[in-house]
Order: sequence, then C-alpha cells, then structure tokens
Amino acid sequence: MGLNKLIICLLIVIPFRKLFSQETTKDTIKTTNLSEVILTATRTARQLSSLPLPVTLIHKKKIIQSGTIILNEQTGIITVSDESGFEGVQIQGIASDYILILIDGVPLVGRSAGNFDLSRLTVGNIKQIEVVKGPSSSLYGSEALGGVINIITEKPKTETLEGNVSYRIGSFTQQDINLDIKQRIKKFRYGFFANRFSSEGYDLNPDVEGQTVNPFENYTLNGRVFYDFNNNLSLFSSLRFYDQTQEAGFTFDDTVFEGDTKEQEWNAHLRLDHKWNDKFDVDYELYYTNYTANERLANPISDEVLSDSDFDQKLLRPEVRGNYTFAKAGTITAGLGFQYDELDRTFFDEKVTFNSQYLYAQYDVNPVEKLNIIVGGRFDNHSEYSNQFSPKLALRYKLTDAIALKGSVGYGFKAPDFRQLYFDFTNSAVGYTVLGYNVAIDKLQELQAQGQILDVVVSTSELDNPLEAESSIGYNLGITYKKGKWNTELNLFRNDFKNLIDTRIIARKTNGQNVFSYVNFDEIYTTGLEVNAGYKINENLNINAGYQLLYAFDKTKEQLVENGEVFVREPQTNQTVAVEKKDYFGLVNRSRHNANFKVFYNIPKVKANVNLRLLYRSKYAQFDTNGNGLIDSYDNSFIDGYITTNIAASKTFSKDFNVQVGANNLLDYRDENIPALPGIQGYVKINYQF
Amino acid sequence: MKTMNTIKAIATSALFIGFTSCSSDDDDTQQPDPVQSEQVVNLAAPQTGGQGQPIGGEFAKFNFETGMQTTSDTDWDIAFRGTTIAVNGGTVTGTADEPTRNGNAGATIASGTFASVATADGLTFTQDVDASFAVPTGSDNGWYNYNPQTNIISAIPGKILVFRTRDGKYAKVEILSYYLDQDSSNPNSGRHYTFNYVYNPNEGETSLQ
Repeated sequence: MGLNKLIICLLIVIPFRKLFSQETTKDTIKTTNLSEVILTATRTARQLSSLPLPVTLIHKKKIIQSGTIILNEQTGIITVSDESGFEGVQIQGIASDYILILIDGVPLVGRSAGNFDLSRLTVGNIKQIEVVKGPSSSLYGSEALGGVINIITEKPKTETLEGNVSYRIGSFTQQDINLDIKQRIKKFRYGFFANRFSSEGYDLNPDVEGQTVNPFENYTLNGRVFYDFNNNLSLFSSLRFYDQTQEAGFTFDDTVFEGDTKEQEWNAHLRLDHKWNDKFDVDYELYYTNYTANERLANPISDEVLSDSDFDQKLLRPEVRGNYTFAKAGTITAGLGFQYDELDRTFFDEKVTFNSQYLYAQYDVNPVEKLNIIVGGRFDNHSEYSNQFSPKLALRYKLTDAIALKGSVGYGFKAPDFRQLYFDFTNSAVGYTVLGYNVAIDKLQELQAQGQILDVVVSTSELDNPLEAESSIGYNLGITYKKGKWNTELNLFRNDFKNLIDTRIIARKTNGQNVFSYVNFDEIYTTGLEVNAGYKINENLNINAGYQLLYAFDKTKEQLVENGEVFVREPQTNQTVAVEKKDYFGLVNRSRHNANFKVFYNIPKVKANVNLRLLYRSKYAQFDTNGNGLIDSYDNSFIDGYITTNIAASKTFSKDFNVQVGANNLLDYRDENIPALPGIQGYVKINYQF
Repeated sequence: MKTMNTIKAIATSALFIGFTSCSSDDDDTQQPDPVQSEQVVNLAAPQTGGQGQPIGGEFAKFNFETGMQTTSDTDWDIAFRGTTIAVNGGTVTGTADEPTRNGNAGATIASGTFASVATADGLTFTQDVDASFAVPTGSDNGWYNYNPQTNIISAIPGKILVFRTRDGKYAKVEILSYYLDQDSSNPNSGRHYTFNYVYNPNEGETSLQ
C-alpha cells in the first residue's frame, strides 16, 4: 500500500510541479506528431491530442521494439485469463466480453463464453493499435461498452517493393515466422502478409494431468489490394485467413482422452471510398466473417468419443457512411448498415440467426476555438431484443496551449448473445442443465415430460418478456498536460452497468441437480482513475509511467453486505459470521492497483535500441471459494500482487538486417494459478528488411 | 479398500458420538430448565446408492432432549442420511428405508448468524410430505452446496436450521461440517455431521438463546 500511494503521489505531483514552474516559458517545441492520427474515436481522421475521449495509441514501432503484443503494458489496460485460461483484455475494470475488437474498423467474432481470445491476433503487418476507452456504442453498436480496440493495418506507400521477413525463436520452442510485403504500382497497391506461430506449450503444474498450455500451431494469411480509380474514388479490399490447431486432452475417470481443437477464421472486407467534393465523402463497405471452432476428444485406444463440439459463426455487414464538413461549423458523420449474424453450434437445436439494422450520426464541432464538442447517437433495431439508442457527448476545452480538460458521457450496450438465448446443455458427468432464455420454457416442458423435473422454482411468466441487452453508462473526466518533454494525462472514470446477464436456477431436477437459465439482474460499477506520464529526456531516451486505481463492485451485493445478509464460515470454528463491508473485496479478476514503468532508449550511433518495461498488478481473486456468491477476505483464491519485468534489445546490422534479443518475465515470476504467465520467456529474433 | 476404510471410520465414529458433547451457556435461574447449547461432533449419516442409483439405508436419528443419537422409532426429532435431513413430523417422502413419522416435528431455514436467530417466534415450520423433505434437498436448495469440480459438500454459511421438535419444543442447528473431524480434504470422509445446536426444553417457549 505504501509503495502504491507513493507511486500515485509521484505520478500526480511530478508533472504538475513541472507545469507550474514552467508556466512562463515561451519557447515550447512544436511536438505535434503528424502520425498520431486516430480513426476509431470519431470515424474520421483526428489528431490524437485533440480528442475529447480517453484514447491510447500504440505504434508499430513500439510493438516491434517491445517484441510482444503490448496491450497490457498500456495504462488502464490489462490482460487477464478467464476460467478456461484464455486471455482477454480488461479496460477500466471492464471484462473482455464488453470490449469490441476491430480490424480496420470491422468487428471480429468468435468468442468463447464471451471472452475474445487475444492470442488469435498477430501484429506483423499493422500500422498501429487504437484503443478508445469508455462506451462507444454510439458509433459501433453492441459490445462496445468498455471500449473499442481497433487494429489498423499499414497501407503500402512506396513504388519499390518493400517488406520484411523475420524468424523468432523463444522458450517453449515458440517459433514465429513472418513475411510481409507491400508495394505501390501507380494506382494499384497491394500487401501480402503471412505468419506462422507455434509453441510446444508449457506446464505450470506438473502434479495435474495435462499441460497448462498445450502445443499449438497457427497460420495467418492476409492479402490486401488497394486501387485508386482517381483522386476521388479508391478501393480497399482485404482477405484474411487464420487457422489454428491445438492439441487437447482431458482425463476423466482415469481415462485419458485426446484430440485437437481447431479454429478457423475468414475475414473479407471491401470498401469503396468516394470523395464527392472537398466537403463530402462517402464510404461503402461490405464485410463478411466466418469463425469456426471444433474440438473432438476421444479415447485413443477404444476410440470412444468423450466430446465433439462445433462452433460456426458468420457475420455479414454492409454499411454506408459519410462525412460532411461545413465551412466553419464542424463535421457531420452519419452511417447506416445492416447486420446478419448466424451461429450453428453443438448444444443448439438448430442454426440461429439475428438481423439488425442501425443508423448513427455524430456532429463534431468547435463552436469556439478552444472548445471541441462531439455529440452523437446510434439506433439499433434488432430481431431478438429491444431496440437500443446509444447517445454520447464529449467535450474538450483547451485551457492553455499545454493543458486541456476533457469529459465524456456515453451509453453502451451488449446484445444477449446466442448462447444466452439458445443454449441447451446438460453436463453428462454431473447432470445439471443450462438453457438459453428463449428456449427455456420449451426445453423445460420437454424435461418435465421426461419426468426429469422435481419442481420449477420461477414462475414461467418471468420468462415471457425478452431478455434485455446489458447496458452501461460511462463517464470520463480528464485533464491532459502536454508541453515540451512532458505528456501527461489524468482520467477519472466511472461505469455503471445494469441488466448484466447471469445464470440462475429455474428448476430442480429429480437427480438433485438444477436447471439454470439466464436472467438480467446484476448491477455493477467500476470506478477509479488512470494517470499516465511520459517524459522525453532527450530524442533518444523516453520514460513512461502509468497507474490505474480501480474499484469494481456489485451494487446488489454491496447492499446485501451492508444489510448483514452475506455470511461466511469463520475458518477456525466453522461458525457463521456476517461479511462486513471491509471484507467485501469486489469483483473477480480485478486488481485495485495496476502500474507500469517503461524506459525506451535509442542508441543511434550503433543503430540499436533497448527497453525495459515493468508491470505491476496488485492482489486479485479468481473465484468465490466459500459459496456466498462474492469475493471476501475469507476466500482463498487470491493471487498475490506481482511484477512482470520485460526487456528487449535490438541492433541493426549493415542496413537492413536486425537482431533482437529479449526476455519477458525476466525475473521468472510464476504462479500455477496464472496460466498466461509461464516462467521467463527468452527469445531471439532475426529480421531482414527489404 | 477405500470402502472398507470408510465403513471402519463410520463404525468407530458412531461409537464415539455419545461422548462428544460439551456444555456451556449462562445459568439463567429464572427458568426451570435452562436453554441448552451444545455441539455434536462427527455424527455418522451413511447412505446406500446415490450417483444415479436409488438412495437407501437407515437414517441416523437424533433426539434433542437427550442430545444423543438414538435408534428409537418414536423418540427422535431429526434424522440424517447422506445430505438428507428428515423430521419426525408429516409423512414419508417416498424414498427407501425412511423412518415412520409419529411426532409433530417441523423445520424451517432462517438466515443469519447462529446467535442472530434468537427466537422461533414468527417462523413457519413445514413437515416432510410426499416427495419433499421439510429441509429441501439438492445443492443450494437447503443447507448445503455441492461443488462438482471439487466434489465437496459445504454447509452454506448463514443457513440456520430451526426445528420444532416432535413434542412442540424448539431448537436451532448450525451445521458446521459434513466431513469427519471437519476435514473436507478427503471426500470419502463425508456423511459425518458436526453441528452446533441450541435447544429450549420448555414446551411452547420460542427463545433460542
């Protein structure tokens, strides 16, 4: 705690001390970096520093220098493992389920129990990653409650063939092979990217049968074609393919079952940019994606099949959007689109489809020079749940050349997913059943007819009204200071969620087990602050420190605790005691404190660079262990706070040959309960640029 | 092998049950009979069948008046078999080997710490009926939770069982553990109840403290 407080104080005090002492200096260096353009926040190209929203931009250069996907090295963003060990992002304490992942502005599908597994993404051909924090449903619709992560690929620019090929080998026989080429031939540009990534996996807990991460190999192919018909009309098209095979195994009743998990993904993206005149341009976009996953586990000797599950999701989305810029009165952005979703999977009776139509508009204006206002909203009409209107308002006020205030409030929602509506699953080993909301009544009647139901514990009229979309209202209030060598930002946030969907018991079965279905009930909030401070000591030495303070609680549970209605067994006597407010720890997988510290150092003389990144995550809980439905200080699934140390160094030889050596988790921090953190991971990478 | 050990353990622990009570509580001399606050340790409640097979076996019967386990067909208040608790009131629910009910016992589940449940006044008691026990069976329905990952039965904290005895007196029970010596690390040592109870021996009196 003492250390944490010290960090906060330093982060807050240092920049402002500087701020006040330098107030009178006039000779500010113009540091406007033209490459710091963000597309995601407004769907128009906007200077990062001018935006009224909390936005993080991660350049390709930083990713390459760091030698790893570095989303979790950004202040306010961490990656956490879900119960199945998949890694997802958490932004401002909001889980991966509520964060939309885009590539070049179009969404990726294929989530496992809500979580988007980030390891599916490779970053070999990207230009930058843009992260907009806070609800962004006003532009992007469903899932954009906690934020949007947009991966922007690089557009070919040079007439000569340009590209690179690289090979990286690291601990656990991790091999990463990349080929990226791109070229411009007059009006025609193309880019081709191929990646193969494989690992033998690792085992953090040899006492338990099976490995923590099983061996896998995956391939990503991405071809892109650009064509400029003329100055006003250009075409972009991209076809991406991803394929992964991972060994799978499961021991049940002393029998080992083996098999593979296969994942495949197609993304086809076509966009025509039409500039009618200086004021008006329109994008016509067509996007199709298909994600499939299959897992088959069988006894290798008897060929007895333990499980065979399929998942096949498709999404088709045409969209038209336009920008109209008034002479001196801002820009209007508007779009409309149609989305077709389809999912066919094991534990569904039949293929299910969703249709939705949507319309959005945004007005971005500076009524006076120092004030920027963005106001927008989106209307989604959906075939399966009630219509959603998602408004958003954001303001930025420039106090001085260096200091700006910004604030935003927005609505975000997440549609009930296919699983929550159509699941029909009975656990064969234990015997409980989980039913999707829309099929619950029918399925319950089937089970009753089979004599499997002892009694129904909810009134079926409660299942008549459609399941509501989960929704949130997010508030962000920040101040930025950017002057000379400093680039500092402080942001306070609060997100109020309601109608969160969770399971509840709807009936008891004659086998003593329960039938679960989904219901809207939870109300949670996440609130806290983020501070980030960057200081450029000189052109070559860059220091950055960040901190996030987070409180994430369930409002209903907080109330129950206050009423003295939550109990726990005192471990010494096993007697019931009431959980007190100080014992309520908050939501799972949330750390009160997260901090990062990064140093990047360039040594141009020898064409080398070196960097050190420290990440701290304070204590968090994995799950409720004492059955009272919340995390309290009596639970024993806590993971102690820890620091990860990552380093990397690279040197360029001759002109175009680069060698990188690095180590993630250099201090070899290990905990068998953190599946995504194996011991030290060293690596060597050779890159040839042409 | 395992089953043999279990049977041995059950048998030995059953022998000791009678000796394991201890007493406390202040002496309130106004009342003729003081409220009794006791602990029962390792009451064995074996069952046969389960896991898809029909459940059977004798219930382990308990008498609040003596504070002892009993084999009497009439002088019992509550009875245990596996995770199931029967009361001596109402009718048989229809499972095999159930004792006949000849008293007027009833049960209800109150919410709170053991101390906070101070009276039986105002509580509604139910009795065993066809196809349903007064103390609901099944994970999270009554007094326990079953975790399918760890196979552990744990008594849900804050669930205080309040009983009307066969002869109209009141008692409250907090089950502390379902495992021998309150050690759940070996699932085979299950079906051993340790519980605290408070019994008011004065007929019609609802005070439970």
